[in-house]
Amino acid sequence: MPRSAELPEAGLSLAVMAEALYLSNLLLAPGLAFLALLWLWWRHRGQAPALARAHLAQAVSGSLWAGVLLVVLNAVIVLLGGYDGPWTWVVVITYFTFCHSALVVFGAYGLAKAMAGQCWRYPLLGRPLPNGCPEALS
Amino acid sequence: MQYQSQAVAKLYFTAAIGLFAGQILFGLILGLQYVVGDFLFPAIPFNVARMVHTNLLIVWILFGFMGAAYYLVPEEAERELHSPGLAVLMFWVFLVAGALTILGYLLVPYSGLAQMTGNDLLPTMGREFLEQPTITKIGIVIVALAFLYNIGMTILSGRKTVVNLVLLIGLTGLAVLFLFAFYNPDNLVKDKFYWWWVVHLWVEGVWELILGSILAFVLIKTTGVDREVIEKWLYVIIAMTLITGIIGTGHHYYWIGTPEYWQWWGSVFSALEPIPFFMMTVFAFNMVNRRRRNHPNKAAVLWALGTAVMAFLGAGVWGFLHTLAPVNYYTHGSQITAAHGHMAFYGAYAMIVLTIISYAMPMMRGRKAANSNRSQVLEMWSFWLMTVSMVFITLFLTGAGILQVYLQRYSDNPLPFMVVQEKIALFYWLREVTGLVFLIGLVLYIASFFVGSKDPEVAVEQAASPTA
Repeated sequence: MPRSAELPEAGLSLAVMAEALYLSNLLLAPGLAFLALLWLWWRHRGQAPALARAHLAQAVSGSLWAGVLLVVLNAVIVLLGGYDGPWTWVVVITYFTFCHSALVVFGAYGLAKAMAGQCWRYPLLGRPLPNGCPEALS
Repeated sequence: MQYQSQAVAKLYFTAAIGLFAGQILFGLILGLQYVVGDFLFPAIPFNVARMVHTNLLIVWILFGFMGAAYYLVPEEAERELHSPGLAVLMFWVFLVAGALTILGYLLVPYSGLAQMTGNDLLPTMGREFLEQPTITKIGIVIVALAFLYNIGMTILSGRKTVVNLVLLIGLTGLAVLFLFAFYNPDNLVKDKFYWWWVVHLWVEGVWELILGSILAFVLIKTTGVDREVIEKWLYVIIAMTLITGIIGTGHHYYWIGTPEYWQWWGSVFSALEPIPFFMMTVFAFNMVNRRRRNHPNKAAVLWALGTAVMAFLGAGVWGFLHTLAPVNYYTHGSQITAAHGHMAFYGAYAMIVLTIISYAMPMMRGRKAANSNRSQVLEMWSFWLMTVSMVFITLFLTGAGILQVYLQRYSDNPLPFMVVQEKIALFYWLREVTGLVFLIGLVLYIASFFVGSKDPEVAVEQAASPTA
């Protein structure tokens, strides 16, 4: 039987939208996309299917962590290291690029999971999955 | 292996792996020369080691592409190769020409090599990556034409699929664009302008088509996802590649004497170049998530996924890092470029060749679908060692590049080049150590062809099933 026939339709588009907004927040429209994601999460947090709730919750917590890791931590590095220090910029740019890329790859994986109708928990920063999540293949 | 003539790919893959090992050894020599300037001098000067390192890279990737085409085209076209004999003959011509060229670099002073090979009749030598003597370049054209004839005739007389047609377009583009290696005007601006038509339009144009088609082929075979789904992804990916990559050539035209509008065109279009790589990542993960079977060759699936991720990081992210004109004004030609070059070449092109080798070699060596468990475990170890060490090589070179740009080009009191080189030596040492780890990974990779070769292969495909 084709795998596509097994896709749970319930919540699929919401799950994909959540991951797309997470990625947009990192890549295209920082802040704006996060606000849209928050609104989507708020509107569907109670009654959406498990797949959608899982991806919405993962995307929101992932975005919050991204804010801490990319904005707050970098600001701390600059404050501690000094704006004019060459080593400050070595650390800031290398750290930002590496961390941002890792968050984008997590998002790409999350998007692929959402498109395949599967739940996925972000490594380290993801929230526990709700009951009734479609299971992954092994 | 469905067709006997696919076996010619084994020759190409074997040569590719051998030349890959040579490239890494010269990379380690080069890395050490950055910090111990007279290491192996005068036997192997820095400029020669660099030339050998980069030329071996190009040649082994080309061997890999040709091997990939000889393996996948018969299967896609559902017929034997048009002329396996021609493929074997061209293999030896290419290998001997390549070996003689490398020996020429190592044994004869470069100007003497130019004289010996009659460069004055049609001067094409002396340009980065296109250092080959003119006669070698003519040999490359002959090999490429014979190769295209062989592949083209096979496709034209067989089944036409999106995979083999995209591959054919990519390979034709590769051959046609190489012809600009023969155009060597006196005007330096024009020289650089068209030099990028070979270098950029290869790696950020037609090679991406080859990468996409090989990746699509391996994913069709290993996941069992409908061909139509994979082909639609491939269409969109190659469209985005060409839309962004062709005008994206402009990011090389910022400071070479071309009109200023290239700063806008280059910045805007090359900023979009990560898109096809990002799509490739989502595509690869999506196909594996939607797989209809668990292929026994887990190592090949790992290489395929790794290619998508590392190509996105190396070519996409690290390319974007220094592609905008105002940034590139400071970073041009610094170690940031080297960081991007290392991860992009490894992630996009080295890994896709290793992917198709990983998928095809077991069958060409008599297995039904995959190697033994021991062999695959070793191969996956080599994947992680090489890939993680390449990530660290890239990070160290990025750190070196940022410090270099700051001290040499950005600060109020810029320091001379060689003074800065001493200040960033720590990064070069770290890169060299990480390069040794990469070498260990490569040794394990080669060992994986021999370890467990008598063990039974991993069980043939089982249907994918949900698990907790």
